[in-house]
Parts: sequence; structure tokens; C-alpha cells
Amino acid sequence: MQENYLAKWLNNELSEEELAEFKKSAEYASYQRIVDTSKGMKAPEFDVDQAWTSFRNANMEKEPKVLPLHPFKSFLRIAAVIAVLLAGSYFYLNSLDERYSTEFAQQTEIILPDASEVLLNAGSELSFNETNWEDNRNLVLDGEAYFKVAKGKRFTVSTAAGKVTVLGTQFNVESRKGFFEVTCYEGLVSVMYNGTTKKLPAGNSFIVINGEITQTKGIVAPVPSWTQNESSFKSIPLKYVLAEFERQFNMEVNIQNIDTEQLFTGTFNNTDINLALESISTPSQIRYKLGTDNVLFYAGNTP
Amino acid sequence: MGNVCEEHIFSSIFKDNSKTVFNYIYYKFGNEEKANDAVQEAFVKLWENCAKVAPEKARSYLYTVANNLYLNVIKAEKVRLKYADQHSNSINQESPEYVLEEKQFQKKLDDALDALPENQRTTFLLNRIDGKKYSEIAEMEGVSVKAIEKRMHLALKTLREQIDGI
Repeated sequence: MQENYLAKWLNNELSEEELAEFKKSAEYASYQRIVDTSKGMKAPEFDVDQAWTSFRNANMEKEPKVLPLHPFKSFLRIAAVIAVLLAGSYFYLNSLDERYSTEFAQQTEIILPDASEVLLNAGSELSFNETNWEDNRNLVLDGEAYFKVAKGKRFTVSTAAGKVTVLGTQFNVESRKGFFEVTCYEGLVSVMYNGTTKKLPAGNSFIVINGEITQTKGIVAPVPSWTQNESSFKSIPLKYVLAEFERQFNMEVNIQNIDTEQLFTGTFNNTDINLALESISTPSQIRYKLGTDNVLFYAGNTP
Repeated sequence: MGNVCEEHIFSSIFKDNSKTVFNYIYYKFGNEEKANDAVQEAFVKLWENCAKVAPEKARSYLYTVANNLYLNVIKAEKVRLKYADQHSNSINQESPEYVLEEKQFQKKLDDALDALPENQRTTFLLNRIDGKKYSEIAEMEGVSVKAIEKRMHLALKTLREQIDGI
């Protein structure tokens, strides 16, 4: 009899001789009965449809899941982009110049990284680079500012008209359209204008009006008058005086039949507009009419 | 054949195989609740991995998962099987003695089946009740056809010895 003949028998794989021999054996009847009886056996009930319904409700009701293949990779990608942007903007912002500006009728005080002080007059703009400040004290000015420079390396103020270089002193620079004035209050200032350098000791002013250079001596005030809320002028064409008035009071200035090139010497108050108008009009022998946001200056003999 | 992730393919795999998965686990452990759970768990695994399992491999994947679920975890309980009423049509021809003797034999077979090693019982019942061929059982159990023939031979031999009281 071959190996596993009982299994072969069930599967009808016995040869005729083997089958005949098996049927003769004493156990055959019992085997036949086991096989016959087991035909009638049933496993417990199993409801395929119910199982399918509960499976589908629990697992397939939602839309098929779409799993990203590499969720972590895309996270890294985003993180890298953010890191680059942050680092980039950090360096970019660091390299940008610090920038301060004042509107009309406004002054502001700026403390520089080396504790030097700058007072910025109305309608002015000052910028400088904070990085490497100790080695390169360089500012760009458009307008008027008063500098109290702390001792240290060369300190340079660049303007459209010229450069002012000092080592540690107090001075005022005004650079307006057609007008450039540097006044030294303490120490020594060198002014570079049009390729020439002028040394300016304390109490001296260097003024350029329409390309014409004047140097005046005998400034006695310890600080520029505008820092004390006054604007002072010494032989300055009236148009610059009126422009300063415009900046200090944020008033539109109109003129009628007036020679704005006439020189003006005097001072006007930066806080009291009526006092300031008197201060300007009386010595110049002109009249004025004050509106809400404008002033008309007209010739004294005009009605 | 398409992808197992396609619902109509998955559903036909479920309908063709869930009953056999249920029986397979029941024959092993005699626990209906666990057999029902095994069906759900095995198909959840197949659904989750539908993209990785080829349709022709789905069947053996299901049995492997179902089998691994309870490996060494639950103790086998008594496997209880019902008997279809084979004699309903010819009830008048059966003597009460014959019916009683038949019932006694069924009881002996039940006890003998319960005493069989799990793998022999599973092979025997899958073949007798579910009509599975040896090659199909071999695929489910992950063994050779010859090993299934051995289990079947031993199952019959042991059952007869038990019943005949040897």
C-alpha cells in the first residue's frame, strides 16, 4: 500500500488493486462510515452579506485613502524652503541701511551705534549701515541735521553737495536744493566740496548757495538755533528762509511780487507761527496773509 | 485581472473567500466570535495593502493574516459541528434503533475530531465540509500537497482508532 493511502483513497487516487485490497481490510467499514457521516457535517452559520456590509461600513465608506508616498520628504522640502527664506531675509535685512526721516514740522533724535547723537531737522532723511559701524562711520544726509560725534574713527556725512569729515566734534550740516551749509560748533571739521577740502574750526560756517561759497566766522551760539526751536539766518536769500518756514510749520508758502533773492538776516521762532511771520515780514518789509494751511507773502506796497 | 484596490474586485474576493476564512479559523480554534473577527481583520489588512497584493496572491494572503492573528494567542475550544438532516426524505424507512445508533456515532466522531491535532482537524474539515482540494488546503496552510496528504491520512487513521476504541 502506498504512502498516505487513506488520503489517496478519499481522492480516488488508489489503483484498482490497492482499492480491492483496502476494501478487504477489517478497518474499511469504519473508514467508510467516518467519510459518509462527515459528509453531513456543517460549520456554524456565517452570513457573507452581513459580514461584507459591516466590513464596508467600517472600512470603505470614506473616499479611498490617498497616502502621500513620502510625507516626511515633502515636509523636509517645505522646512528647507522656510529655512532658506528665513536665513536669506535675515542677511538681507541686516545688510539694509538704517533709515530715518522726518516730515515737515517734525524733529527727531537718533542715537548712533557708537553713542553719537544726531538731531534731524524737519523734512530731512538720514541713512547709515549699522553693520561694521565702528570701522566705517558713514552717513548719508538729505536735509539738515546736527551731529554730536563721539570720539573714534573718521566720521563722514555724505550729502548731494559735498562730504563732511570729522574725528569727534559737534557740527551742523544742511543740504537742501541749491543750498549747502556746514557749521562747526566744536573741534575741527573738514568739508569736501567740489573736489576741494576746507578745514572748518569751531564757530565757523561754510555756506554754498547756488554754487557760490561763503565762509562766515563768529558763530557764538553753542548749538544750532533750530535745536532750540529757532531758525537763524545770516545774509541768506529770502527763498531759503521761506523754504525753512514751510518745513518748520508745514505751511504752503505762496509769494506775490517779492524778490526772493534779497538777503535776510534774522531769526524766527519754530513754534509760534504769528511770531515767526512777524519776524520774517517786518525786516523784509513784506506783508503776509495767513490761511488754514497756507501763507501768502506779498509786496508791502501792494494793497 | 485588475487591482485589489478596485472595489468590485475586492468585493468579489470578499464574497468568494470570507466563508472559508471563517471556517478555517473556526476549525482551528472552535471559537465563532474569533472566527468572525478574523474575517474582518484579515480583509482590513488586505484592504490596507491592496496596492501591494496581487489579486492571485490575495487568497493566501488572507489565510496567512488570519492564521497569524491568533497564533499562540487563544487556546483551542471544542469544535462543535452540526449535522445536516440527511435522512429527512426517508425518515419512515429508518428504525428508531438506527437513528439512535447514528446519533451515537456522530457523537463519537465529534469527540474524536476534537481530540485531533489542530492541523489534522483543519485539513480534514476543509476537505470534507468545504470540499477543498488538497492543493487548495496546501496553499492556505503554506505547506506542500504531500504534507496535506499526510495530515489527511493521519486524521482518518486517528479518527478510526478513536471511534473503534483501539
